[in-house]
Amino acid sequence: MSQHDRTHHAKIATGKGDPQCFKGTAGGPPKFKVGDRVRIKDLPDIFYTRCQVYTRGAIGEVAVVTHESPAPEDEAWGHVDHSEWFYIIRFKQKDLWPEYPDNFANDTLQTEFSERWLEAV
Amino acid sequence: MSSSTRDQVMRHLKAVVEIQPPVQQTGKAPYASDITHELFRAYTRTPHDVGGEVDVPVEWTEEEAEAWGYRAYVTTECLAWRGVWCAEERRRMQNVDMGTTQYLGLPYYGRWLLSAARVMVDKDIVTLTELINKIDEVKKRHEPAR
Repeated sequence: MSQHDRTHHAKIATGKGDPQCFKGTAGGPPKFKVGDRVRIKDLPDIFYTRCQVYTRGAIGEVAVVTHESPAPEDEAWGHVDHSEWFYIIRFKQKDLWPEYPDNFANDTLQTEFSERWLEAV
Repeated sequence: MSSSTRDQVMRHLKAVVEIQPPVQQTGKAPYASDITHELFRAYTRTPHDVGGEVDVPVEWTEEEAEAWGYRAYVTTECLAWRGVWCAEERRRMQNVDMGTTQYLGLPYYGRWLLSAARVMVDKDIVTLTELINKIDEVKKRHEPAR
């Protein structure tokens, strides 16, 4: 058991909460701000990710700059040494689904990404 | 570049439907030359990323919570408090590592419970032999007396 008694989430987050416990750990300010247009990178998606493949290559806009946290790809194996900024990105449904009906052209979808998945347009 | 990525993504979502469920495909363990990049991506798609896959509408039903489900949940939280895993490790193990068949086929808290057993074996909290023997012992306890 001792090998798992590392500085684990339960200890880091006690009294603070998660992701609040990672505040200030991204090593700098967020790269993007609300309203910025970004494209979702198409990085390899083996083993684990929370970046839905259907968003890859699509362009959306930053709706909220949310918090700092280790990226899911790291945290999923317990690595918490490096944090990133997270963002809620808003897409037009039409930009995600080619067959989305024109009469619902204003529909949007919002989902969350860590900074590594975003590039400036 | 972006539009070719978008084309790839749309083809990928179609390819995923064609291989599901893989257990129904004929010709197991194909030659490498049979697996295109597109097929490789479809086969290695993480089971929890279902967005964009063609499916029939799901009927919404209210399910009553069951005691065993709460116990499974509390077990996984206790493992987190003791530093065995964090929530993201749990999600990986219960939503992705067990594969599409188990992800879609087992009850929600069944996957929580199974992943709790898995992490304890993976991180040497118990050995698989100990776990097997314990499950066997408990099973026998619940078998009707002959």
